[in-house]
Amino acid sequence: MSKRAIQFQLGIGACLGCLFLILYAIPHWISSPSNIRNIVLSPRFWPSIVAGLTGLVGLGLLVVSRSTPHESGLANTPIDAPRAGLIRLAGLAGLMVATFWLLPRLGMVWVSIPAFLALAFLARTRHPKTALVCAVAVPMLLYGFFAHVAGIAIPQGDYVRLP
Amino acid sequence: MSLIDNVMAGFALVGNVDAFLALAIGIVIGVIGGAIPGISATMAVALALPFTFPMQPVNGILLLLGVYKGGIFGGSIPAILIKTPGTPASSATILDGHPMAERGEAGRALGMALWASCTADVISNLSLILLAGWLASFALSFGPPEFFALILFSLTIIAGVSGESLLRGALSALLGLLLATIGLDLVYGTNRFTFGNPNLMGGLNFIAVLIGLFAIPEIINTVWNPTGHVGKVRTLGSKWVTFADYRRCFRSILRGSFIGVFLGSIPGIGAAPAAFLSYSEARRTSPNKANFGKGEIEGVAASEAGNNGVAGATLIPLLALGVPGDVITAIIIGAFMVHGLQPGPMMFVMNVDIIYGLFIGLILSSGLLFIVGSLAIRGFKPVADIPKRILMPIVLVLCIYGVFAVNNNIFDVGVMFVMGWVGFLMSRYHIPAAPFLIAFILGPLLEDNFRQSMLMSGGTPDILLRGPITWFFWGLTLITIIAITRGTLDKAREKD
Repeated sequence: MSKRAIQFQLGIGACLGCLFLILYAIPHWISSPSNIRNIVLSPRFWPSIVAGLTGLVGLGLLVVSRSTPHESGLANTPIDAPRAGLIRLAGLAGLMVATFWLLPRLGMVWVSIPAFLALAFLARTRHPKTALVCAVAVPMLLYGFFAHVAGIAIPQGDYVRLP
Repeated sequence: MSLIDNVMAGFALVGNVDAFLALAIGIVIGVIGGAIPGISATMAVALALPFTFPMQPVNGILLLLGVYKGGIFGGSIPAILIKTPGTPASSATILDGHPMAERGEAGRALGMALWASCTADVISNLSLILLAGWLASFALSFGPPEFFALILFSLTIIAGVSGESLLRGALSALLGLLLATIGLDLVYGTNRFTFGNPNLMGGLNFIAVLIGLFAIPEIINTVWNPTGHVGKVRTLGSKWVTFADYRRCFRSILRGSFIGVFLGSIPGIGAAPAAFLSYSEARRTSPNKANFGKGEIEGVAASEAGNNGVAGATLIPLLALGVPGDVITAIIIGAFMVHGLQPGPMMFVMNVDIIYGLFIGLILSSGLLFIVGSLAIRGFKPVADIPKRILMPIVLVLCIYGVFAVNNNIFDVGVMFVMGWVGFLMSRYHIPAAPFLIAFILGPLLEDNFRQSMLMSGGTPDILLRGPITWFFWGLTLITIIAITRGTLDKAREKD
């Protein structure tokens, strides 16, 4: 993606975001008492100002994108296999969702170990044995510190509980 | 009692091994706590508090002050090495510290962070001792309109951390301001973007947003391009900070220290805005302006001086007025109370020996911080040598534990993951993260003070210009905006 395209997409996104906020999100997702004497005291006032400014910045970005030359070059360094990269990113998103969902069910230690290994695999580590050792040692050490030194109730899950 | 008598009484209290050890142990705990992302100086102080109960009051308070000061410096270690600020105050250190680490100058960056921290610490402590009464009375005259004007001026620092595009920086800041509105409305108690979820009623957890925005995108980037770092050096390197570096950055360190002292003496501002403001000022005035954000050592010096300058100054309102300057000093005020002490003007009469004992301890703490910090830099060397594709899973697990530990809330882990993706997208679209963070910190303060001012005046905006303090900050804001506009126009003209 070129720098010009980035400016243009951001400008369009900011303008659409502004419209969405003013026309839908602020009226529907912010409750405001009906008897407010002064508009500046309304809970909707500040988000509306922010939304309006977002629209202005969006317009500014659109104007700037028009003056950016077409041949402004690539904004990001391309990677070798973008398709494989996207698959890995999808895998990471899945890993995060699974980690979040499993944390209260299996416990932080038992989720962190496979999460560590899965991330090392996704990052194509060249040190699988070290990764395996760290995957077990790091969550255990952190559990020991947080649970026994800091006195924080680390989630233990429903199945295997640690001392 | 005369000044000499007071100093001698203070010496009698802290001139022993116990007090010295308490301070040293506090600094060690603070540096370690600050260096572990998610623990933060605040959490380290809170964790250490119960251990001070059986100690002598002055020793216990010195231990906590040691944790505080050590924590603020310690936060810079992971900020530089793994781009994960150990404390929010170290966020600005990432901007130049991490690029230096990426090109194999982590040791130099950490060394400068330590030197700047210790210098700022000395200045901050001296300011506390010399200016406690005067600065505290000045800060006491701040009401909501003055705070509004001050915070509005602080928001102009966004221009300094926006990188190549002011508009993208502004967009980032607006996103931060918008996300800061999530939660219950402070005046009416109504819901704003909470979707009925009780976890959102208190707003988004700052640490979750901070770690999500800075650490998780690094992990996502590693997964997106696992070999992207190959060939890039990320070790402490053989290059260490020199006296010439220190001399070159001295003006920025001095300026940052005083910015820290000034902002620290005003309750509620905190170390992170001080670090960003100091960084922004250093960038504005530096002859190496173009290198800022790409690994300029002066940037590291300025941000570390800014955040450490706050550490002693936050004690000014605490000791002189009994008003905590930030969250950490609020915890420390609890320690005073546990030991039967009431900080405030009367303490200067009733417990003047403790006051002077603390002053002496604080002066000692700067030297101890230098020793402990130098050892910590070498101690954390292995972190720099860990292969990136092993380090990133470690960072992920550390972030999960750290973010959970702040509020004992798994929801915060989810917030961190979501913010990680937001941060990744922002980096792909070249939207800088620092303006987002500054706006996220300052946004609620700005809105609350604005609405409080309006409540006070019955909706009349005249109150926002009610006195010399507000005029001063409005004037500064205006001058800064003019300077930014001129700078942007000049840059555009140069391109043409």
